[in-house]
Amino acid sequence: MTDQDIEWLARTRQRGDVAAWLERIPYARRIGVSADTAADGDGLLFRLAPREDNIGNVLLPALHGGVVAAFMETAATLDLMLATREPRLPRVVDVSIDYLRTARVVPTLARCELLREGRRMANVRVWAWQEEEAAPVATARLHFALGGVTTQDA
Amino acid sequence: MSSDTPDAAAWRRAITRFVTVIPHTRGFALTVLEAGPERVLLRLPWDDDLLGDSTRGLLHGGVATMLLDTACGSAVLPALPEPEVCPTLDLRVDHYRPGVAEQDLYVEARVVSVTASVVFTEGRLWQCAERPIARGIANFMRLGARNTPPGFKQALFAAEHDHD
Repeated sequence: MTDQDIEWLARTRQRGDVAAWLERIPYARRIGVSADTAADGDGLLFRLAPREDNIGNVLLPALHGGVVAAFMETAATLDLMLATREPRLPRVVDVSIDYLRTARVVPTLARCELLREGRRMANVRVWAWQEEEAAPVATARLHFALGGVTTQDA
Repeated sequence: MSSDTPDAAAWRRAITRFVTVIPHTRGFALTVLEAGPERVLLRLPWDDDLLGDSTRGLLHGGVATMLLDTACGSAVLPALPEPEVCPTLDLRVDHYRPGVAEQDLYVEARVVSVTASVVFTEGRLWQCAERPIARGIANFMRLGARNTPPGFKQALFAAEHDHD
């Protein structure tokens, strides 16, 4: 990370400007990811738009499982960028996703939890649902390597 | 299709049909280079919408997941006695290095084992063959012939002109 990157990350993070982060993630825009502060005040609530272009199975029809995974990975990354103690740029190390129900072509929501923030690694859990939060369509867990706070650390 | 054992060219056409009816991958012009019981090899031409970090010019990690899911799901069909609808049960992706802008993506997948209820697969993603970007392990549920729409196999192997 350059000093300019760190400065940008710290500034946008202070404002909680997740939209500015999404601006730099073309694939997330392509599939229609947005983020908002959760109504219950408990962190961020992510949303995947039910676009025709996100369909993976035309017979059902259902969203592409890989698109749901990409949505959850984007959610985990953005949530982590806001949740770490210091501004850190996360890089995904691994993702494990369980598909629990067919994801219909309706809005999909997701919420994340940072289960562990170490010095180098973070573990994030993601829940994605459609009609009811208690009936998730998929859950995921991800490990991220955390970029340095300073350029020397990166 | 009259033959019960489609050849490589027939499988390539069938899997091409399978991935081109998927709106998401059709939008990115995903193409099938090889398909058969041994492996499936797909190519995704570079598109700036695949970026996950436009400042650094890096591929979105979720594109790796999406491609591995698609390739592994495609590899399932030629490995079964008869094509069946098989939803993804779970998927694990290890990211070895970031993908970079302006280079086409290649993804290969193969079936490791088939049981009565599950198809176990694995896949690899690269831009430069010696430097893999990611590995995926995907397991698919077998829904069986009873839950597969009638005409599924015929639709896969139908002649080019009577598509839809």
